[in-house]
Amino acid sequence: MSTVRHQLVSPLQLVAMAIAGIILLPLGYVTAQALSADPVVWSRLWATRIPELLFNTVSLAASVAVITLVLGVSTAWLVTRVEFPGRRLWEVTLVLPLAMPTYVLAYIYSYLLGFGGPVEHFWQLVAGPQARIFSPHSYWGATLVMALDTFPFVYLLSRSALLSMNVSFEEVARVSGVSRLSTLWRVTLPLMRPSIAAGVALVILYVVSDFGAVSLLRYQTLTYAVFQQMTGRSDNAAASILSLLLVGLALIFLITERWFRQRSRYYQTSGRYRVPERRRYGWLGTIAITGYLGLTVGAAFALPAWLLIQWSLSPEALATLDNRFFGFVWNSGILAACAATVGVLIGLPLAYLANRKPTWLNISCLQAAYAGYVLPGPVAALAVLVLFLNVMPFFYGTAIVLIVAYVLHFLPSGLQSLEPALQQITPNLEEVARTLGLGVRETWRRVTLPLIRNGFIVAWVLMFLQIMKELPATLLLRPVGFDTLAIRVWMEASEEYYQLAAPSALLIVLVGLPALALLLSHDWRAA
Amino acid sequence: MSFVCFLPASRRTILSGLLLLFSAGLVPWFFTPPAQAADPLTIYSGRSERLIKPVLDAFTASTGIQIELLSSGSTELVNRLKAEGDRTPADLLITNDAGTLELARTAGLLHPLKMREVERAIPAQFRAPDNAWVGLSGRFWIVAYNRTMIQPDQVTSLLDLADPKWKDKIAIPNSGSEYLQAGVSVIRATYGDEKTRQFLQGLKTNADSQVYQKSSQIVDAVAKGQVAMGIVNHYYVYRYLAAQPGAPIAVLMPDQQEGGMGAIMNVAGVGIIKSTKHLDSAKLLVEFLVAQAGQKLFAELDKEYPLHQDVKADPALVERKSFRAAQVPLSKLAELREPTLALIEQVGLR
Repeated sequence: MSTVRHQLVSPLQLVAMAIAGIILLPLGYVTAQALSADPVVWSRLWATRIPELLFNTVSLAASVAVITLVLGVSTAWLVTRVEFPGRRLWEVTLVLPLAMPTYVLAYIYSYLLGFGGPVEHFWQLVAGPQARIFSPHSYWGATLVMALDTFPFVYLLSRSALLSMNVSFEEVARVSGVSRLSTLWRVTLPLMRPSIAAGVALVILYVVSDFGAVSLLRYQTLTYAVFQQMTGRSDNAAASILSLLLVGLALIFLITERWFRQRSRYYQTSGRYRVPERRRYGWLGTIAITGYLGLTVGAAFALPAWLLIQWSLSPEALATLDNRFFGFVWNSGILAACAATVGVLIGLPLAYLANRKPTWLNISCLQAAYAGYVLPGPVAALAVLVLFLNVMPFFYGTAIVLIVAYVLHFLPSGLQSLEPALQQITPNLEEVARTLGLGVRETWRRVTLPLIRNGFIVAWVLMFLQIMKELPATLLLRPVGFDTLAIRVWMEASEEYYQLAAPSALLIVLVGLPALALLLSHDWRAA
Repeated sequence: MSFVCFLPASRRTILSGLLLLFSAGLVPWFFTPPAQAADPLTIYSGRSERLIKPVLDAFTASTGIQIELLSSGSTELVNRLKAEGDRTPADLLITNDAGTLELARTAGLLHPLKMREVERAIPAQFRAPDNAWVGLSGRFWIVAYNRTMIQPDQVTSLLDLADPKWKDKIAIPNSGSEYLQAGVSVIRATYGDEKTRQFLQGLKTNADSQVYQKSSQIVDAVAKGQVAMGIVNHYYVYRYLAAQPGAPIAVLMPDQQEGGMGAIMNVAGVGIIKSTKHLDSAKLLVEFLVAQAGQKLFAELDKEYPLHQDVKADPALVERKSFRAAQVPLSKLAELREPTLALIEQVGLR
């Protein structure tokens, strides 16, 4: 028995180590390139760009964090602790903004808030013809777009914290004569703190690594600067240096999020679970609540979606729906399908080993696969590019390079579905199958695989849908004739051809909706 | 989570349907034989797809040769060609800047040409000495101004835009733009580094956040009055005017004053990649682009100045003979570029 298992595990372990190595290699190359860069480049960047970029990135992250905190926690509290008509509906619709890629929301807001745009026209009716509103191409514009797009992260975490919280704590406070507001402040919110912190850290990680919105809103962050350095200079030294800083920054927030997520477990209390009592407010309260939620969802999803539909139906946009357009759809689909398949095949041995034989080696292999979290799109592209140029230059310019970058970047979200699927099945089942005389392979085929199949499929779909909307790595690495829907949106939108960008954008949003349903039923952190 | 209840029943069916669909789609993808009747030409193009695709479509219509187009940044594409070496699928490189073409030539990426058609059609100053790259259309870096906000006599030189009185009134392209890099190179070659640095400082302060990725956005901002002036290539203004005839935007040809530098000119051009396996088709395309028919397309569709002596520019444009161009040879743009980039970065342009 033990010899059989030994034979089974050993090659698998080798595979896992090889995969982990391949995943870490690009990151290592970028680091090496950054550290070996001419000190002159370093000092030049420190003197000119880095302070501004760091400040811009961190201040954007901070303001988005504050706004998402308020929006996310307040909406979560409303749908869990207040009873009002349509509550169940709002509970679901508040998640919809996650289906909007940031670059789509950014281009819609650069139209809405743009100079001479509809919002300004309306404002001028109110405040006089010379009145101006803030430009979307600014710090506040980027803040607005990123906050509207990411608040559902905080909402979802706060909501589940509110639902799983033991209401007895609050009841004790109330019985002891503490006012409602004071209870909220002194009992409920402190209990939610780890979940909120995890949500906000996630938002920050997302903001720091975003490329689509900041590029369309012309707001200079580190991620955008990496892209600009890669496309505007003939060597990658400066891009590598900025990438290294960015990886460091992302790492800080990833660790923060992990730490708070783990801490949130300590707050799970035993005891009987009851649904918290939902308070009712009068019709005035109902109107206020509905107005608040309607405004939030309207600004983050309904209005943009309506505009996309309007634009897609315009004659200019309909004229673009030719064979070429379906070629883009096909490219998006085929690239995402290949990369998702590779991702699942690669992720499976890693997750399996780390869960079944949690030696430190196996666990580190799995942790290595999470490196993608701290590799924003342009950095992943740079890393893969540098790796291929140094090691396998003959693949450069083929779809393989792009697929490797996708896998590297999105493997973490696939693993988040694979891991729980594997954790759910007990090894006893496999052992029973073995004692009853099934061979190793048969056990895999007839017991393990059927049990993990669902997790497998969900991981595949999640990776597929995220890869479909990926922008920066695709821009940098796509081979000839491989324009995708995301590329078309970005190219048209960056020249402000709003109508022409709409059909591709709408399709991306529509395809993203089922993904959202899946995410909600599993682990939505990966959106 | 309560959300779970929405899905389970139908989820599996949907998912397996999706999977089936894609595996079915994959089969023909892997088994389609790659070679078709006539090999298509692969072009790396640093020009906006909107400006070059119609011309290439006309070529396909007249010769039947299909074209695979990869549109991206000029510098980025040269980086890519360098990395791909002999394995590149590209047959031709089209860029929006002579400096980038010259860099590609000095890196040994381009194929020298001996073609009578080229030498007859395009004047020597718009080609590489060995014809490894050939200019196709001329563009001038001009000041676009809003007619309701600016009188044309308020500005005579590009350098005037650095004047503090234009604070928050001008829009400029970002520092990755090859036009900007070429323009700054010409100013450096004419006035020296110190004066150029002061100019860039002023420009940076005046433009503040009005730094754009695309020239079409600058033109749009000027036409709407968001800014009073912008520095762009001339044809973006005329293309805008062709689409929206009433727009209050006009072109100011800068640096024409006595002893002035002259307007900064650049060309968009083409080069054949050294490792191409389709040299004959590629030459056919170059021939098409420099011939009168091709040059007319650049003049009419793109509102550029054709380089062929016998082809007239669009009548809406400023008559080419009525203004002077700066006296810096195009081929020098390549060697000027590195120090220019260093200067741009020192000043901290975005």
